[in-house]
Amino acid sequence: MLNSTTTNISEFSPVMQSPLHPFGLTSKQEKVNDGKGVWANEIPLLGYISLRGNSQNAAFVNAVNSALNVALPTQACSMSYTAWGSILWLSPDEWLITCKRDQRASLQGALETALADIHSQVVDNSGGYTTVLLKGKNASEVLHHCTVYDLNMLQAGKVVGTTFGKLNFYLHQHEDGYYLVFRRSFADYIWRYLERSALPYGFGIAQLNDGL
Amino acid sequence: MSNRISHKNSRVDLNRPLTFTFDGQSYQGFAGDTLASALLANGVKVVARSFKYGRPRGIIGSGAEEPNALVQIDVGARTTPDLKATQVELYDGLVAGRTSGWPSLAFDLKSVGGKFSRFMPAGFYYKTFKWPTKLWPFYEDIIRRAAGYGKSPIEADTETYDHQHHHVDLLVVGGGATGLLAALLAGRSGLKVLLVDDQSELGGYLLSMPNILIGGVSASTWSANIINELQSLPNVSTLSRTTAFALHDMNMIQAVELLQDHLPHAARNNAQRRERLHRIRASKVVLATGAFERPLVFGNNDLPGIMTASALTTYLNRYGVACGKNAVIMTSNDLVYQGAVDLAEAGITVTIVDTREQINPEWAAKTNQLGIKVYVGYGISEAVGSGAVQGVQLVKLGSLKNVVTAKGPYVPCDVLASSGGLSPTVHLFCHDGGRPQWDDARLAFVVSANGRAKDGIFCVGAITGVFALQEGLAKTHDTIAELLTGLGKTINASGLVLETDEIAVTPARRIFNVPDGKDGYGAKAFVDFQNDVAVTDIHLAVRENYRSIEHIKRYTALGFGTDQGKLSNVNGFAIAAEALGKTIPEVGTTTYRPAYTPVSFGALAGAHVGDSFEPRRYTAVQTTHERYGAEFEPVGQWMRPWYFPKPGEDIHAAVNRECLATRNSVGMLDASTLGKIDIRGKDVREFLNRIYANAWSQLAVGKCRYGLMLDEAGMVMDDGVTACISDTHFLMTTTSGGAARVMTWLEKWHQTEWPELEVYMTSVTDHWTTAALVGPKSREVLAKLCTDIDLSKEAFKFMDWRDGKVAGVPARVFRISFSGELAYEVNVDASYGDYIWNELMKAGKEFDITPYGTETMHVLRAEKGFIIVGQDTDGSVTPFDLDMAWAVGMKKPYSFLGKRSLARSDTSRTDRKQLVGLLPEDPNVVLKEGAQLINSSDITPPVAMLGHVTSSYHSAFLGRSIAMGFVIDGIKRRDEEGNNIVYAWAEGKAVKVKIVSYVFVDAEGARHNA
Repeated sequence: MLNSTTTNISEFSPVMQSPLHPFGLTSKQEKVNDGKGVWANEIPLLGYISLRGNSQNAAFVNAVNSALNVALPTQACSMSYTAWGSILWLSPDEWLITCKRDQRASLQGALETALADIHSQVVDNSGGYTTVLLKGKNASEVLHHCTVYDLNMLQAGKVVGTTFGKLNFYLHQHEDGYYLVFRRSFADYIWRYLERSALPYGFGIAQLNDGL
Repeated sequence: MSNRISHKNSRVDLNRPLTFTFDGQSYQGFAGDTLASALLANGVKVVARSFKYGRPRGIIGSGAEEPNALVQIDVGARTTPDLKATQVELYDGLVAGRTSGWPSLAFDLKSVGGKFSRFMPAGFYYKTFKWPTKLWPFYEDIIRRAAGYGKSPIEADTETYDHQHHHVDLLVVGGGATGLLAALLAGRSGLKVLLVDDQSELGGYLLSMPNILIGGVSASTWSANIINELQSLPNVSTLSRTTAFALHDMNMIQAVELLQDHLPHAARNNAQRRERLHRIRASKVVLATGAFERPLVFGNNDLPGIMTASALTTYLNRYGVACGKNAVIMTSNDLVYQGAVDLAEAGITVTIVDTREQINPEWAAKTNQLGIKVYVGYGISEAVGSGAVQGVQLVKLGSLKNVVTAKGPYVPCDVLASSGGLSPTVHLFCHDGGRPQWDDARLAFVVSANGRAKDGIFCVGAITGVFALQEGLAKTHDTIAELLTGLGKTINASGLVLETDEIAVTPARRIFNVPDGKDGYGAKAFVDFQNDVAVTDIHLAVRENYRSIEHIKRYTALGFGTDQGKLSNVNGFAIAAEALGKTIPEVGTTTYRPAYTPVSFGALAGAHVGDSFEPRRYTAVQTTHERYGAEFEPVGQWMRPWYFPKPGEDIHAAVNRECLATRNSVGMLDASTLGKIDIRGKDVREFLNRIYANAWSQLAVGKCRYGLMLDEAGMVMDDGVTACISDTHFLMTTTSGGAARVMTWLEKWHQTEWPELEVYMTSVTDHWTTAALVGPKSREVLAKLCTDIDLSKEAFKFMDWRDGKVAGVPARVFRISFSGELAYEVNVDASYGDYIWNELMKAGKEFDITPYGTETMHVLRAEKGFIIVGQDTDGSVTPFDLDMAWAVGMKKPYSFLGKRSLARSDTSRTDRKQLVGLLPEDPNVVLKEGAQLINSSDITPPVAMLGHVTSSYHSAFLGRSIAMGFVIDGIKRRDEEGNNIVYAWAEGKAVKVKIVSYVFVDAEGARHNA
């Protein structure tokens, strides 16, 4: 060990920043009201776990089900909401698990333990994604400015990977709101494009505790 | 207001006067007017000068077909060139300008040339300006100045545009009688219906014929009832001022909606768009696009005051404008008669010149009753007038052939209209490959109602050649019934009575070009007004042996321009057919392509402008980079710090400083953009063996290795360092721009060729922030923040990685180097990216830690002789060409991608272009990247090109310029004293260069192993 400097770990106070941090949304948020047609905000700093495995392999599915204590959605474009977050089906052998950040380690640990001898992949991707909730009476119209996907096809319990402007994202709908899940590095473009698209309808940053 | 009349069904509100200007003069119009109707109401006849001859021109049509009345609307940033006055809705304060006529509309210099028009035939430019070749730039300048109409705005557009996607069961294009009926019948069945119409209000031609009775009520009441019911249906939406301009495969229709241009400036909403591009994906499409009336072609038919008969009727009934007091209408058919009756009833003197031998007895009775004089069997050989039509010369026509049999009377008039029949608006039907058929009975190119039903495209109304309203409505019912049956639905037409009080139609005369008996030496008869194409031009093209209508079009310019020949094409095809001695179907049509009408660039761009034009991907450290004053450059879609100038520094000064600080103390690079792929499974080593050129079976846990990825042709496609996390777990890095391509590449080979290999891969590019801590002091900086990794050179060697905590955050530290210096790449969850960067900066303060960007990174790596894929390679470079045989494992038991191609005779020969280092003789000369390398400074042709410079920099560390480049047989020449001199040729100078090893700094590796 080098001993040129001694460091006490407790000196450090690490700070996390969400992908939309540069937009300062917290300081712009307001209580949702009827004056604006579209409301959005980032649900920052969730935990994200990428899971891959063969859904035809009963051992894999059973191991995941028991580790998460919930059934892995194996139908195309299906998803489940759980007590701790959600599981998004991305492709026949790929899922994205979202949870509160402080539950990520235990969920990932449970999966890794259960899947130790089963061909699979469990990866922490928490730094790589974020989620935006979009709601309001014109939310669907605004999304139709951004994505080619037919939102009439998006029932609750369904998740789709589709385009957002020139990028891609995952989209699901739950209790009157759309959840937009996308990569950290896409945040700037997606937020600017969303703001631009929402302008004619009135765009507000919704308070996070205000039903968001 | 000389021509305005109060008309009970007019859509113009005489209680709401508006003021506008045209060509600098102020006029009054009314709400509901178009610019064209307001100009006609004010008696303005000349609105333009013609393209080639500068002839005075007036308004001919009443919609998208207008060829002449191109105007410049508004000024400054909002100015829009070449709008058709017939489509511009009037608002208070509208400023319109002319787009042709110089120095003025009253006198155009081009008209002087027009007197010599005999000498400006079709193909004039090709013939006259062809020789001498070197004068072409001069000719081009003159032609460009003479051509064109309005002026593009030169100020930035202050307004916004967007796109909106729609998914509907049925799209109806056209809101006329049949379109409305189609939408209603489909809407009643529950289909999700969207109706788009280009006018300011629905109704189509019913707005021009409001007195006709449908089901016992007036047309205006009938359409109002249908519109009301449509609005009450939640599954039906309508868009007015929306032009469907393109129909693509799979029934994707693009339509542009004008949202604000009809409003006075004060009423416009800054938060609203000026235009919206609708992208509509429709399971079924109903084209109810109607038809345009085709004028007859005759001498001086371009005089102001001459228009189509339907336009004359439209201006009267819809806008309350009598375009004259004394009208002559020439026709080949019955369609003009209702309008003529309406005009006469409005007090206008009307004379009809009917080219037919016999006319409809019912219309004969009606016209007789109203005192309308009808010349039967006559045509107009020539219009007469100076600046505007003042009268017409009639000729008696042959009964069987279109020839002059006798001279007829002269009839004075102040407005002249003609109808040669209708040309269906088949454009959208044809955009994705459909073709119209010539219907000899209806004298029109038509499409069949269900001819493209298998594509989901149905057609109703005039587009199908059904020009009578009652028949059109009945057939619309049947077509929609067929459409609904196909969807398992039944039609509900309850309460809809579709009988009309129309007079039954009698046959039309087949005539396009009215003969004048002068065999081509009479007055000019124009086919295409916008491009000044006369009948004689088409005849000339045929005489000069143009045989295909597509060639005749291009030689004469028939059908070009902003109107795309909506009035002229069919006349042109017919006249060409006659000259060619062919039938019209044999000649066929030219190709209808999108866009149906001009679309603004703003609408096409939508919200893809400014900072949302192209995705800009940022790392988690972006705000800190900005705080340090970074300049950025795009790498793929990433925005990477390029260099960090201090006040007063240019890029060279900044890069020199950053390079020296890094080599002498410590620098830091944000390497987060590198692609990162997590790969797991028991076969991961074998998978990497096949994907990479080098071997991965023996790489120990805790170690990293550089790899070259080849394509099937054996050419380098990507490179990067991959770390062995465990025997079943590797972390691959790729180039920043190549990450997605590599990810797809891995999945493709795994899924299609090697599914038996147990591996999964996941992109973790965005998860990690990577801070590359580079330079001799990097260990000391890291040690201040990290105590749980033994950083000693014995314990943590070059090309090792370790897990630990850095500044209290879990981190994976790689001891790898893209500079040749001692270096650590610190990877943390990107949520902590900005935090870790700032902690490292603080820790490095005592060593004057220097953030650096991609430019310094390039210099440092070139000093060390590291390649950049895409800069030093171009898809035609093998590892051997790069002198990197050490990165190829030819002995691996299973083949790897590209291996077989490396054995091809061309890839395995030893005298290919090879990458070498280049040292200019003058150390102060930095070679141009891309400069050709040649053997001698003598550039007398032929000069053999040996290769080119791929990377070139000034190296502050070495105090001189360095470069890399490809030279034929370069590796051999490098080591041959006397054969190692080449010249770099660029910008007129040859620079003497010595071929050397491309490792300029620390060939033995003492620095990175420190």
